Amino acid sequence: MALSKKELTQMTKEFKIVWLPIVFILLGLTQPIVMYYMPVILQSMGGVEGIMIDPTMAKPEGREVLASTLNSQFDQLGIIILVVALMSMIQGEKANGMMAFILTRPVPILSYLNSKIVIHYLVAVICITLGYAVSYGYSAYLFTVVPFKEALWALAFYCVWLLFVITFVAMMSTFFKSPAVIALISIVVLLVCRFIAGLHPFIDAVNPASNSLSAANILMTGNLEVGDGIHIIVTLLLVLLMITTMHGFIAKKKF
Amino acid sequence: MGCGENMLLIENLQKSYGQHEVLKGVALKVEKGEILGFVGGNGAGKTTTLNCITGLVEQDCGKVMINNVPKSQSLDYKKQFYFIPDTIHVFPNIAAYDWIHFVLSLYEKTDDAKLQSFIHVFGMEKSINKPMGTYSYGMLHKMALITAFTISPPILIMDEPLNGLDPLAVVAFKNCLKEYSENGGTVLFSTHLLDVAEKICRSICFLKDGKIVLHESVENLLVDGSLETIFMEKQANEG
Repeated sequence: MALSKKELTQMTKEFKIVWLPIVFILLGLTQPIVMYYMPVILQSMGGVEGIMIDPTMAKPEGREVLASTLNSQFDQLGIIILVVALMSMIQGEKANGMMAFILTRPVPILSYLNSKIVIHYLVAVICITLGYAVSYGYSAYLFTVVPFKEALWALAFYCVWLLFVITFVAMMSTFFKSPAVIALISIVVLLVCRFIAGLHPFIDAVNPASNSLSAANILMTGNLEVGDGIHIIVTLLLVLLMITTMHGFIAKKKF
Repeated sequence: MGCGENMLLIENLQKSYGQHEVLKGVALKVEKGEILGFVGGNGAGKTTTLNCITGLVEQDCGKVMINNVPKSQSLDYKKQFYFIPDTIHVFPNIAAYDWIHFVLSLYEKTDDAKLQSFIHVFGMEKSINKPMGTYSYGMLHKMALITAFTISPPILIMDEPLNGLDPLAVVAFKNCLKEYSENGGTVLFSTHLLDVAEKICRSICFLKDGKIVLHESVENLLVDGSLETIFMEKQANEG
């Protein structure tokens, strides 16, 4: 509890607790507004050859807009922002000696890691939820209303993917000393995971980004599939594996 | 000297960094209530020994026990000591008072009256609520000492605790150490200040090239001259 409180205090002092939610609210806001004003934007660009505005083009539904908020805004720019904001969560404490200080106190390594992952995950969930809520509101206002239950299920699945994202960044932050290396590897691996989701059923079974795809599918179809549950189990197992690896790494004093 | 009960027991402690053998079988017994000064030249292995004891570094070989708790019982073992490293690591934008409370909570200690009394002893009343980033090196050491004495673990392990302390703080440190030891606390600290060690410590341990070359009570050592003379002799003879 004391460690979690310390993490929260630290994030507050670094203003992460302020600017991260604002960024995600803006990201959530962007998708419905851009999609709503897309024809106007394209028209105002005028003179661009090859672009044809079809006035009879069907207006997208709210569920499509919300799904593209998750898949376009949060899964691309959102992930990059999260990685950059959280890449120092363990590396920073290794570099300034704080990790060595805490681990020579009566603190289990697991408690240290859990406090890091849980607090950063909760902050990330709050940010995503705020951004998602804003996107939901604007999608309903500008397009059509998405059933609340479906939106909630989609968010729940997305949060499972988010748990993988945070744990993966924490693991990279444990392994490497350079923030640039942590950011590069994390962004590349997470974006590749997301881009290959949906390519092949076998890859999907072990790809944690399938949860993000499931979230989008729930929004688009309103249906939950059996495979979605398997994705959650596999992701949770991967998270456990990563925590065990981090524990072993720190226990062997490889920092 | 102490009361005969072993507080710290080290047997055949060995540690190498690559090809460089830093500790070559350190063996040491520190009795309960003892104040032991750990002295030696630069690179003798003092910090590595302290790091092995505190778990910051894993030894290649050897046994370490504090208060009969082996190092392998990590959590129970870590409750037996408080370690003040040479460099104090803090979060610059957090107030010292909040930081001390955080550290106390790790040891499940909440004695605020005791904390206030040590803040007063070290003259930190005015600065205790300031962010630690504004602290000087000496103030950080004072803050670490306040935390250590408030926790009062069975043994205090310190690496160069006198560095940066002003004369008043050195006096406060001596008094606190005396009181702590009289209440059964054991102290192990490394220092280069032999004149101070002579006044504070009850026994001295000389470390040279990764081996303990002398472990004797200050009383007995001073029969042969000052610690400085003995240190110079040891450095010359063993070298």
